Amino acid sequence: MKGRTILLGLAAMVLAAGFTFASGSSESQKSVSIQFAISPREVGKVIPDFINGFEQTNPGIKVDWLQVPGVPNEQHTMYVTDLASQSDKPDVIAVDVIWPGEFIANGWAAPLNDYFTTADVSKYLPGMMNSVSVDGKIYGIPLYTNAIHLFYRKDLLDKYGLAVPKTWEELQSEAKTIVAKEGNPDLVGYISMWAQIEGLFMNYLQFMWGAGGQFFDSGGKVTVNTPAARKALTTMVNMIKDKTAPQSITTYKPNDAMALFRQGRAVFMVVQDFVWPMLNASDSPVAGKVGMTRVPYFAGNSSANTVCMGGWILIVNPYSKNKAAAAKFIKYITTEQAGLKMAVDTGSMPALNGMQNNQTLLEQYPIAKQLYADFAVGDVRPSARAGAKYPELSHEMQLEIHSALVGEKSPEKALADAQANIAKLLGQ
Amino acid sequence: MSRTRLSEPAYGILLVLPMFVIVVGILFLPTAYTIGLSLSNFSFIKGAARSFVGLANYFAMFADEEFRSSLINSVFFTGVTVVLELLFGLVLAVILNRKFVMPGLLRATVLFPWALPTALNAIIWRWLFNPDFGLFNSILVTLGFSATKINWLGEIPLSMFSMMTVAIWKTSSFMALILLTGLQTIPADLYEAAEIDGAGFWYRLRRITLPLLTPSILLALLFRSMDAFRAFELPFALTQGGPAGSTQTLSLFGYRQFFQFLKFDTGSAVSVIQFILIMALGALYLRVFRTEAD
Amino acid sequence: MTDLTTSRTLKGTGWTVLKYLFVLFLVVLFFFPIAWIFLTSIKTTGDIYAWPPTYLPHHPTLKNYEAVLFGSKLGRYILNSIIVSSLSTISVLFFSSLAGYSIARIHFRGRGFLLIFFLAMSMFPQLSIVPSLFIWFRKLGLINNYLGIVIAYTGLFSPISLWILSTYFRTIPLEIEESAKLDGCGRLRTLWRIMLPLSIPGVIAASLIVFIQTWNEFFLALVLLSQNLLRTATVGIALYPGQYSFPWELITTATFLAIIPIFALSAIFQKQIIGGLTAGAVK
Repeated sequence: MKGRTILLGLAAMVLAAGFTFASGSSESQKSVSIQFAISPREVGKVIPDFINGFEQTNPGIKVDWLQVPGVPNEQHTMYVTDLASQSDKPDVIAVDVIWPGEFIANGWAAPLNDYFTTADVSKYLPGMMNSVSVDGKIYGIPLYTNAIHLFYRKDLLDKYGLAVPKTWEELQSEAKTIVAKEGNPDLVGYISMWAQIEGLFMNYLQFMWGAGGQFFDSGGKVTVNTPAARKALTTMVNMIKDKTAPQSITTYKPNDAMALFRQGRAVFMVVQDFVWPMLNASDSPVAGKVGMTRVPYFAGNSSANTVCMGGWILIVNPYSKNKAAAAKFIKYITTEQAGLKMAVDTGSMPALNGMQNNQTLLEQYPIAKQLYADFAVGDVRPSARAGAKYPELSHEMQLEIHSALVGEKSPEKALADAQANIAKLLGQ
Repeated sequence: MSRTRLSEPAYGILLVLPMFVIVVGILFLPTAYTIGLSLSNFSFIKGAARSFVGLANYFAMFADEEFRSSLINSVFFTGVTVVLELLFGLVLAVILNRKFVMPGLLRATVLFPWALPTALNAIIWRWLFNPDFGLFNSILVTLGFSATKINWLGEIPLSMFSMMTVAIWKTSSFMALILLTGLQTIPADLYEAAEIDGAGFWYRLRRITLPLLTPSILLALLFRSMDAFRAFELPFALTQGGPAGSTQTLSLFGYRQFFQFLKFDTGSAVSVIQFILIMALGALYLRVFRTEAD
Repeated sequence: MTDLTTSRTLKGTGWTVLKYLFVLFLVVLFFFPIAWIFLTSIKTTGDIYAWPPTYLPHHPTLKNYEAVLFGSKLGRYILNSIIVSSLSTISVLFFSSLAGYSIARIHFRGRGFLLIFFLAMSMFPQLSIVPSLFIWFRKLGLINNYLGIVIAYTGLFSPISLWILSTYFRTIPLEIEESAKLDGCGRLRTLWRIMLPLSIPGVIAASLIVFIQTWNEFFLALVLLSQNLLRTATVGIALYPGQYSFPWELITTATFLAIIPIFALSAIFQKQIIGGLTAGAVK
């Protein structure tokens, strides 16, 4: 009798505890309430301040922060299923720069021309705006950006009297020279993030652009099997074959490459620029010995743009009941003042033009001068053109490129397959 | 107290009913719905037309190179891991089938891999296999093979073999447990009689142990091969299906269709194909089981 | 005579030494990964990413534990796991003990079929059920909700609990039930007062196995509990690496912490768990 009562009581308590914790965020019922979905990962530190500041200057609006998981794929699934079922929340969504293409094609982003004038829009980096502009309408505002850059060991280049490479040919020969002369078995010439991830596609694009290639031709047809593309992929494959890059490069995410470079085990590294503070931190073995510049091009293509940009865009849910409030919030957190705070507190660079002239920013991040010069000319992946099919397109490209890198397919076959599959995917 | 008593069978059915309802609701009906989805062009977009498309999704999947290779990967993975797990499990069981020292420690040790979450185990091994800082390559360097930095998870077909190693490490001890129980049901006097007759170790193994152990072996094989064919979290956490999709199992491929591309129609076709194959596997084993039992 | 005894004792000692060595071998084989994870978790980042490699930490530190316990959501993830696994275990026990008692003891047509039916159901691959459950649970508001995942786990894990419990129920002598009936005990009372208490080993085994399996379950937890604050430990840690990085110092620490409860349970209750797992095998 006693035992039974105790057991039942325990069970009841556990059940009660369980259900009181049942759901996520609480709702506030004052005036207008908007929900802002963004991961705490990259800029989480400044979000509470942004929200407080905004609420103080806009007393009728409450902002609720929906903290989403840090893995983009997870976020993507969440948002797509919500938007596809026409949920009115979240109101403002931070999306990866490659999603607007898909979202716009499916009607999952509200046009913002009513809330942002041409003058407003001109404040933002044109490369980023490329990803949200379709048919003269804009569907998003960029929050922060980064780009893939080349990092090099200044000290090693100086030691052997070598200039900072501008072409891939120069980079490869310099890498080989330095590695041979250093005689250090743990030093490799080149590392990057060549695991089967989105970053691989980005890196490949830079090689391809640097060879004069384009992903889509002017008629909108996919052109992924061109001589330029083949040159790009073959170069990548050969870098592994002739041991300029270690074989293990095919498993590296950006941080894996960064960890190696930080230990001084590589001469050149190509990853996103968010690694810069970590390389120069006080406990970094290579602090002060690192330089950063644009990713090289192939000889003869000096006008090629090799800056591939990433970053996060803010969109407004087309089913939101508070679009005006949402747009206000977006404007608030993308001002120069907010951007500066974000840069200083989190290291993520705002997607605004002219930040290279902001003295406060330059004091904190002298490298910002170089960064913004690059951002001004950078481009994004072809997500807007690919529209709703971008995820599959990217996955297919990653698969084929990786197949070539690990020697499963020849570069020619990989690109031929990519061309065939993507053309089929896009119905071309 | 007087109350109308339900008849015996009715009462029995009443007690089973709640569980029946839940199991049917969670396992049976969703599978049926998935079959239905696989024959349609379902999309999440509200208001999108949903119509019957026959076997179109199935044709699309079989025409997809990635699907075919995921299927082959699953078959290959299942075949090799199950056989090796059985082998190692059998050896371990035979050795452990004696009075041993520290039985408590032994039991805890053998049980531990089973208790580990597969996904976290995969993460642990991912760290062990790390080409630059992992334990295995570190040991190789210390032993003097510093030139050899093995790319455990970045080469084809090495990555598949690495993944199989993780699976075999995790499950062999569980197999051993199942087989050990089977071994312990074999009457000791059978062995004694054989020993008196002068039978050697191998003879005893072939003529007594294996035949009497066959039911346990078949059962273990059944469960294990079904599990191996469904492998999801191991490739998900260990390699994400890489390099170049060489460790992508059918489940991982299906997951991508559903939750990365939101293609619930082709994804369902993948589910159904996997379902049919698993049920066929089960039926096959049952067949063998029944012939053995006779 | 003396010679034979000596040689026999020597042989005995030889065997014992071998047995100890073998136990050592097994312990090393099955525990080295977790040992390495532990070592990594108490190293500084410098040590973890050092080359040539360091095996033992130069300056063992608890910094990673601090970062994980106070700076990450791991505590929340583990709490979620505890809640989900506890609720699921209770729910599974409830449904499967009713059904198990019925199948083991009450004669009705189709009880043999039901047992096989439940066993067959438990073999359905998650890939077949997850998409449909995702669609239905979204409509019913059961996504990101403890209730939803507990219902799903009940369906998923009741069969194995049924199998274990009914095996243990069958071992209880019929006379005890008969005398209970004579005393006027109804069926449910019999189950609660007599069957379950007498099958405590079975109940414990079933509870532990279900608890551990729900703790380790990945696919359904991944899909049904997608909000960060609701993630279970297993999924939360596996998804911790972001798009850019694999912070090994944090992941190894979190993994080690998440495994301790499971390890403790399986070590303490080893006999019961093994008994439950092999109950089906013996049939």
